[in-house]
Amino acid sequence: MNKQIARRISKQTWGEWSWGWFLIAPTIIGLIVLNIIPIIQTAYLSLFKSGDFGRGNIYVGLDNYRKMFSDVQVWHSVGNTLLYALLVVPTSIAISLIVAVFLNGKICGKSIYRTIYFIPMVAAPAAVTMVWRWLYNEHFGLINYLLSRIGADAVDWVGSPKLSLISIAIIGIWSVIGYNMVLLLAGLQEIPKDFYEASDIDGASRFRQFFVITLPLLSPTLFFVVVTSIIQAMQVFDVIYMMIDVTSPAYEHTVSLVYLFYNNSFKYSNKGYGSAIVILLLAIILIITFIQMRAQKKWVNYM
Amino acid sequence: MKKSLSVALTLGLAASALAACGSNNNNSGSSASPSATPSASPSASSSAPASQAASGEKVTLTYAIWDSNQEKGLRTIADEFEAANPNIKINIEVTGWADYWTMLEAGATGGSLPDVFWMHSNEIYRYASNGMLLDLNDRIASSQAVKLENFPEGLNQIYNFQGKQYAVPKDFDTIGLWYNKTMFDAAGLKHPDESWTWDDLYSAAKALTKDGVYGFLAPLHNQEGYYNFVYQNGGTIITDDKKSGYDDPKTIEALEFYVNFVIEGLSPAVFDDAERAELIQNGKVAMGYFGSWNLSGFTANEFMAKNFDVAVLPKKEKQASIYNGLGNAIAFNTKHPDEAWKFVEYLSSKEGQDRQAELGVAISAYNGAADLWVSSNKTFNIKAFVDMVDYGVIRPYSNTTAVWEDKAYEALGPAFTGKATVEEAAKNAAKIMNESLAQEK
Repeated sequence: MNKQIARRISKQTWGEWSWGWFLIAPTIIGLIVLNIIPIIQTAYLSLFKSGDFGRGNIYVGLDNYRKMFSDVQVWHSVGNTLLYALLVVPTSIAISLIVAVFLNGKICGKSIYRTIYFIPMVAAPAAVTMVWRWLYNEHFGLINYLLSRIGADAVDWVGSPKLSLISIAIIGIWSVIGYNMVLLLAGLQEIPKDFYEASDIDGASRFRQFFVITLPLLSPTLFFVVVTSIIQAMQVFDVIYMMIDVTSPAYEHTVSLVYLFYNNSFKYSNKGYGSAIVILLLAIILIITFIQMRAQKKWVNYM
Repeated sequence: MKKSLSVALTLGLAASALAACGSNNNNSGSSASPSATPSASPSASSSAPASQAASGEKVTLTYAIWDSNQEKGLRTIADEFEAANPNIKINIEVTGWADYWTMLEAGATGGSLPDVFWMHSNEIYRYASNGMLLDLNDRIASSQAVKLENFPEGLNQIYNFQGKQYAVPKDFDTIGLWYNKTMFDAAGLKHPDESWTWDDLYSAAKALTKDGVYGFLAPLHNQEGYYNFVYQNGGTIITDDKKSGYDDPKTIEALEFYVNFVIEGLSPAVFDDAERAELIQNGKVAMGYFGSWNLSGFTANEFMAKNFDVAVLPKKEKQASIYNGLGNAIAFNTKHPDEAWKFVEYLSSKEGQDRQAELGVAISAYNGAADLWVSSNKTFNIKAFVDMVDYGVIRPYSNTTAVWEDKAYEALGPAFTGKATVEEAAKNAAKIMNESLAQEK
């Protein structure tokens, strides 16, 4: 009798499982084909000195890694990538949080503002960068023109080693605000109105409400936004690729890991070395994300 | 449980990180070609059924090029070819220089090269040594229209690998001195001519630098910049036994003269490729070195057409101008080798080369066709470009040119910003370049 029940339950569970597997199959297959297999192949390729056109790869063991750890440029690019993330992530999240809170309130033309903030996300990064390049242009750009009107000297926004990463970060911040804002907006609308009503009765100010109610209840969304923003920032490529050439004096101060990977893999056709660089990026992202996952206990509040 | 979940999430997110950067590259690669040629996508899709059709039916060939300035003229030539060969259709696909090689490499790796495409001295070794190109020896031997002796020997040699000809020269290019004649007249200076030396260049640059205009443009650019000076001074970039020439005293001397324009403020410090043309087209510099391939762009620019002209490069120890030429190559695995050869044969015939010159597309490589090219443009004294062929120096190349050219740029940059002396930078460039050359097979 007991045995029979056990079997029936297990059969039912089995049925549920197979349904579950069936329903997530499209995602899992996509992940395996598009993500997992390429990662394994990249790791495998990083052990080879690659031949032209994918032929004649020579196994070199850890040579690519040895070369990478003694390559100053790789460490420059690690620094640049981390600095870029540091410039972009906190600023963009702070701005998008403020914008989201305002657009969650009662103001007219709310949907127009939401659309305006989201537009940069829809535009192609290459096109966006072309426009910014013109704005930043040292001799004919709009920004320097405005500066000259108030009597300031022309600034070399893109070519100056000191400024270029900041100029690039500004584009990065500008283009990511809309996306973060939409996510945070969704999070804000999840918060029950009762809390605000109750605190209103208790006489809490708007400011206090933000820190005591909004921020803690938004923390799960905020956590997601922080994690994805950092990963996205670590992979910065297209803007730098479009703005900074190898000949630029700012190259050393702006080249990111993905850009270096691109140059080595595709420009210098050294795919093995490029793969090693991208595995280093994977390791760095892995470590950062892991730390965040552990640290979330301290601040994320799942109600 | 929670721990393993967080580990799984970490892995998952990191995985998406890698995948995202992979897809980014795809995007940048694929988005580049449609933006360069709006007509490419519909025509490319129509080529698929055509190429599957049995031979004898209509065949569509893809012709990949990197210079959008030449697209219009080449289209005209392709139209004429199509009219003569009704069963062949030519699709011209333009991809910008940098993305072109990424595209071609992906095509070569994946077995989907364009049928006919441009080849360059920087890349020929890789493609030829890996058997990516169709050996044209027999076809040239049995062809009435194509005779290699009608092309400059230096250009033929570039595309000859171990005795096999892998491309037929299409055109050649040299570098000219573009100068603002209006400013020369206003300053009462004599226009540059073949008697000019480096000293004339320097004193003219000095006289013309005023009122926010720079006398000369000395960018961090090899082919349209310091390479010319190096060879005029008797220096070298790469020696015959494949060693770097950057530590040659003559090379360093030339680089010092060149960089001095920037240090003395006679030239802006320019590192960006596109910025060079912007500066000259907006009247910010009075003189600059630009290759003959800029001609159609400069002719179309009203300011340039009105104020500028071109002359041969000034000399030092000797006259020199960096000289290079493209070749038309055929993919080894094209489905239609006969039709592809027919097209290349036409492009390389006297008739095709003459048309290319008449239409002003490029300086045709065919001996004698260059004169037709000279008369195709009345705006500038473009005869200068052809005059320089006699002492032209083939653009330095080896098996991995693209790698050491970039490394040399990185090493020379600090000299232009004043962070290092020219000698230090040049010696550093030589060291890095030799390391790179040592890894060549």
